[in-house]
Amino acid sequence: MKEKMMAVLFASGNESKLNELTIHRTTASLPFGGRYRLIDFTLSNLVNSGVTRIGIITRSNYSSLMDHIRMGRDWDLNRKNGGIAVFPPFVLNTSREVYKGKIDALYTVLEYINRSPADYVIVSNCNIAANIDFTDVLEKHQKTGADVTVLCHTGSVTSSRRLVITKDKAGKIGDLCFMENSNPEQKLIGLNIYLIGKELLVSYVQEAFARGLVDFEKDILFKEVAGGKIFAYEVKGSAAIVDDVKTYYNESMKLLTSEARAELFEKESKIYTKVKDSIPTTYGSNCVVKNSLIADGCQINGTVENSILFRNVKIKEGAVVKDSIIMEDGTISENATLAYAITDKSVTLSAGRQMAGFSTYPIVVVKNKVI
Amino acid sequence: MLTKKECVAMLLAGGQGTRLGALTENVAKPAVPFGGKYRIIDFTLSNTINSGIDTIGVLTQYQPFELNQYIGNGQPWDLDRLDGGAFVLPPYQKAKSGEWYKGTANAIYQNIDFIDRYKAEYVLILSGDHIYKMNYAKMLSAHKAKKASCTIAVLDVPLENASRFGIMNTKPNGTIYEFEEKPKNPKSTKASMGIYIFTWEKLKKFLIEDEKNKESSNDFGKNIIPNMLNAGELMMSFDFRGYWKDVGTISSLWEANMDILDSQSGINLADRDWKIYARNAAEPPHFIGDFAQIKNSIISEGCNINGTVVNSVIFTGVDVERGAFIKDSIVMPNSKILRGAELNHSIVGWGATVGEGARVGEALSQAVNGEWDIATVGPEVEVKPGEKVKAGAMFTGGK
Repeated sequence: MKEKMMAVLFASGNESKLNELTIHRTTASLPFGGRYRLIDFTLSNLVNSGVTRIGIITRSNYSSLMDHIRMGRDWDLNRKNGGIAVFPPFVLNTSREVYKGKIDALYTVLEYINRSPADYVIVSNCNIAANIDFTDVLEKHQKTGADVTVLCHTGSVTSSRRLVITKDKAGKIGDLCFMENSNPEQKLIGLNIYLIGKELLVSYVQEAFARGLVDFEKDILFKEVAGGKIFAYEVKGSAAIVDDVKTYYNESMKLLTSEARAELFEKESKIYTKVKDSIPTTYGSNCVVKNSLIADGCQINGTVENSILFRNVKIKEGAVVKDSIIMEDGTISENATLAYAITDKSVTLSAGRQMAGFSTYPIVVVKNKVI
Repeated sequence: MLTKKECVAMLLAGGQGTRLGALTENVAKPAVPFGGKYRIIDFTLSNTINSGIDTIGVLTQYQPFELNQYIGNGQPWDLDRLDGGAFVLPPYQKAKSGEWYKGTANAIYQNIDFIDRYKAEYVLILSGDHIYKMNYAKMLSAHKAKKASCTIAVLDVPLENASRFGIMNTKPNGTIYEFEEKPKNPKSTKASMGIYIFTWEKLKKFLIEDEKNKESSNDFGKNIIPNMLNAGELMMSFDFRGYWKDVGTISSLWEANMDILDSQSGINLADRDWKIYARNAAEPPHFIGDFAQIKNSIISEGCNINGTVVNSVIFTGVDVERGAFIKDSIVMPNSKILRGAELNHSIVGWGATVGEGARVGEALSQAVNGEWDIATVGPEVEVKPGEKVKAGAMFTGGK
């Protein structure tokens, strides 16, 4: 069977707004949902849709990403044909500086795109946690005769800049614009995932690059809207866009609802991640756990409410954790209390310490810190 | 040309495991789920790779499909090697003959060519139905140092239990002078763990001789070991200290799972230097709801827990609804325990459903003659709402 689609992913983006969470890593390798990294959702969606030729463009701090992906085996992407290709910055001899935008980034991998036997390219950021069937996206793309299909979902503009879409009944996009001000009104929001014919993408990128343009949305999509062949594809169900600390916290906490978990995890298409061979989680005799998502390898002897625990977290006797996210290898010691916090990997809260943020302003504790 | 391998492991995984009833009706015993996210065979496979032995033949016969699929290319155990790795070896048709594995020794006899291909000097014989952690490399060093023909791992068992095992009678230096299968009046408490290292050249000779004897049951314990002893070969015992359990019965399978909950039992799965590997199920983290109460239990990925779970082992992808009560029980993958159902001292097989208000098993205070009266619900069976499954029963829903 001929490969129909390939994918090019951008591992970086919005690192500055994710503050301490992305000091050591790309947005793509940001831990999310108890045992995943953000990129797992995109990779799994692609693999589940039969897309197995995936290039990942990195910008900086990509060692955590390389360590996570390795040869791609955990997503069944260790292939003879296709599989994963990671592009560090400076792939071209001619590139003297790290790319500024998606256009010059794509320009550096044009040869990779051209060489692929696929006719369509999925261009995507890695900060989306959703369960998307790209075979359906392609079907709609072909049916509408679109040049570009823009994936979107219904949501509101919160704390970060979002692409807001206006479309007609047939899905044809009439207007695209960026909105930055928080507004509770429900709108169609772009997910930064696009499906484009390969040859068309190559010509867009070559032309834009020749003119020194950098922004894929502003410099290509906005201009093409007038031609009437840019269509929207609405992803039904929950789709999380993570682009700052606030959205990270809020989208994580949504996973405590059974609806969000069902949409993300309980479909036929599974979400894969790096296998770590952790043991199952152990619950002690004095633990109290309510409304929490808990990964393998934890040891829980204290109280945990409305929280997400990643792998190998230890909650000691008398410790109380509420409304928090504790990443891998975290330890909350005896009688310590934590509320509204995001603790990065291997953080230790010492015995008796107390820390609390607020629901609208969760505190972030940097990797490896001992408090 | 294949690279020479000093030691090749042969894992006997063909046992039917009839004493596990419905649990082994459609899968071989080594493929039975264990400890929340493992299969029984994961322990032996992980021990092998952790001991630095990277070539392992898995001899299957009874209900091999599940096991074949589970082992696959051996990748979860890091056994997908260019050279060596994991091989599933079912009986096969040869030019002159073709037959089932008649006994443990015959299974190895039929795969002499496999071992010869790697020019192995030593062969490690393992069985796939024990729960333990052991470094076989130490046993191999002892075997080589003593220049033995055969080294047998032994466990010191309580004298009152010794008559249930194959007992090795040894001299103070560890040399075995006599082997007694299930002796009425045991002279020693050194029980064979079914783990043997043979110098391949010797074993091969005895296997070929044994095969010629039509009366032989082609079994290591009954034939090969006694024959080697009679022939005056140097047979050594190798003392193993640590947790070891044969999970051949419902009661012992239940006990071994309960041992994981007991930090004093010695089966520490959290040891990062001796990881037990398993094929991964790609499930999300488990979710604990507002009505859950959990005490002294282990819970695996993909579960949704909203009931009470006490002293229990909950495997991958299990749903426990609000108001369900689970105590001293093990619930295998993808089972559903519905509202108001109550489990006590029971094992629920994979994919089973315990209906609303059903009761499985009874609260027991002690084992009788060493056996617990554990109630078992077979795999993919439904216990109807309100139905009762008695202590010690094997419920198959009429299947």
